[in-house]
Amino acid sequence: MTASGAQVVAAGLVTTSGLTKDYGGTGLFDVDLAVPRGSVYGLVGPNGAGKTTLLSLLCGIRRPDRGTIGVSIGRARVAVCPDVPEFDSWLTGYEAVGLARSLVAPTVGAEQVLAALATAGLSEAAGRRVGGFSRGMVQRLGLACALVGDPQLLILDEPTSALDPVGRAEMLSLVAAMRGRRTVIFSSHILADVQRIADQVGILRDGRLLYQGATRHLIDTYLKPTWTVRLAAGADQVAAAMATAPWATRVERTGPDDIRVDAVSIEAGERGIPAVIAACGARQVSCEPAAADLESAFLALTGARP
Amino acid sequence: MSKATPDGRRQAVQASRMNLWRLEWLRLFRTPRALALGAVFVAFGLIEPVFTKYQDRLLAHVGNGIRIYMPPPTPAAALSSYISQASVIGLVVVVSLAAGALSFDAHRGLATFLRTRVRGLWRLVAPRFTVNAAAAAIAYLLGSLAAWYETQVLIGSLPAAAMLGGILCGAVYLTFAVAVTTLAASIARSTLPAVAIALAVLLVLPVVGTFRSIENWLPSTLLRAPVDLVSGTHQLPHYLPTLAVTVAVTAVALTIAVRRLGAREI
Repeated sequence: MTASGAQVVAAGLVTTSGLTKDYGGTGLFDVDLAVPRGSVYGLVGPNGAGKTTLLSLLCGIRRPDRGTIGVSIGRARVAVCPDVPEFDSWLTGYEAVGLARSLVAPTVGAEQVLAALATAGLSEAAGRRVGGFSRGMVQRLGLACALVGDPQLLILDEPTSALDPVGRAEMLSLVAAMRGRRTVIFSSHILADVQRIADQVGILRDGRLLYQGATRHLIDTYLKPTWTVRLAAGADQVAAAMATAPWATRVERTGPDDIRVDAVSIEAGERGIPAVIAACGARQVSCEPAAADLESAFLALTGARP
Repeated sequence: MSKATPDGRRQAVQASRMNLWRLEWLRLFRTPRALALGAVFVAFGLIEPVFTKYQDRLLAHVGNGIRIYMPPPTPAAALSSYISQASVIGLVVVVSLAAGALSFDAHRGLATFLRTRVRGLWRLVAPRFTVNAAAAAIAYLLGSLAAWYETQVLIGSLPAAAMLGGILCGAVYLTFAVAVTTLAASIARSTLPAVAIALAVLLVLPVVGTFRSIENWLPSTLLRAPVDLVSGTHQLPHYLPTLAVTVAVTAVALTIAVRRLGAREI
């Protein structure tokens, strides 16, 4: 596996081994993917990193040059929603979902069509022709078509790219609620979205998987041992005491009552900061770790600048 | 989940009857396809016998005083006039509409929707090919009936058996044309190049057919079969080898097209 520093993930619902699709130097190279059953797996990477290629290989519309893909469920239980779903413009929303139903789950009834449309938030518009839908509505319709067959594996390419803020929040909540019931693999450029709903993350750059594992683990790895401490009084005394502490590497006053302190490690800071404040008899208002998010981890891993 | 209205429930029940065959039926009638096909063939069927009947007078009006002597109109000439229009303009319309339906890979989102849900490309191609070929054949039939009626009224009767044999030959040729379009759609991803490839093949065939040694083996020979049959030049058995070859080539073209489409990546 090419991913460095990745958590070892048990063989899951979807696995790939040495997956390669070479478009003459670009594409996807030696990707060993492991998507645990029931997880929400976020696939992130810069433009051209190979996200769409990887998803296309997983859903079978492209074939790998090398490597293997293992999906431990039948193809009928896999649903795919591309970043820009397209439908014949003269179909109604009902008919588009009805067509998807007939192709993947012909035995289920009209109730499932209604349920899928309602889940995607299209109950009111489903009787209209798709040609009159906004791009966001078409994206929701793509999701309804994917859900109508009650898939075990849902592959979503940029599922929020065309949605307004409310629609985006609804889509994220919807996907997050699937955790445990379905396995979801989705790609996104919006790292905050991935951090919010994905419990597993894969980071691609130049067609190679740089990291794969728990989102929390990745963030923790790149969490800096830096805190901002706010005191009710005695900031000068605390700052002076911290500056002499062996675990503190840097102490800086950032305001009348605020101190920014860097420690040699997270554990040293978590132990040392409360001890110094207590020894000085100061009153602490707050102590917050410096923001660490998927974006900073992503930037650190990919070597990109913010 | 929000409560569905009775109308919504009714539409959902109707939508649950959707399948790939109904999709093609809807494509035909919710877009101007059926209307365009029917209008083109029927219009030529109605107009050409009139033109044949009165062409000497029409030419006299535009001849700037020059008198043009035309042979007396015959039923075969009227039918020939219809066939010549149907085999060019009608063919262009048939190929264009079929290519629009068969170029499903032209749109990535649509191709992904279909290809990730349908097992086996034949399941995807069969309704599109069949409905388009049937629509073309029916439009040709309606146009031929219109031409038959007009010719009967204005010029004279056409032999029924020969007409029916001619309609059969024309319908088989149009089915072949849709198969060629299917093959073209497996070569070119977009609709316009697929139309260009299909028309290039279909319009070159009659030129190749000028070589006497192979003309009876070319599907394009079926184009003039209706005229030869009503004029008594040939009988239907004369065209049986051509019909057999055309059916075989249609099957081969479809087989190759399905294989090519199956191998295509999106």
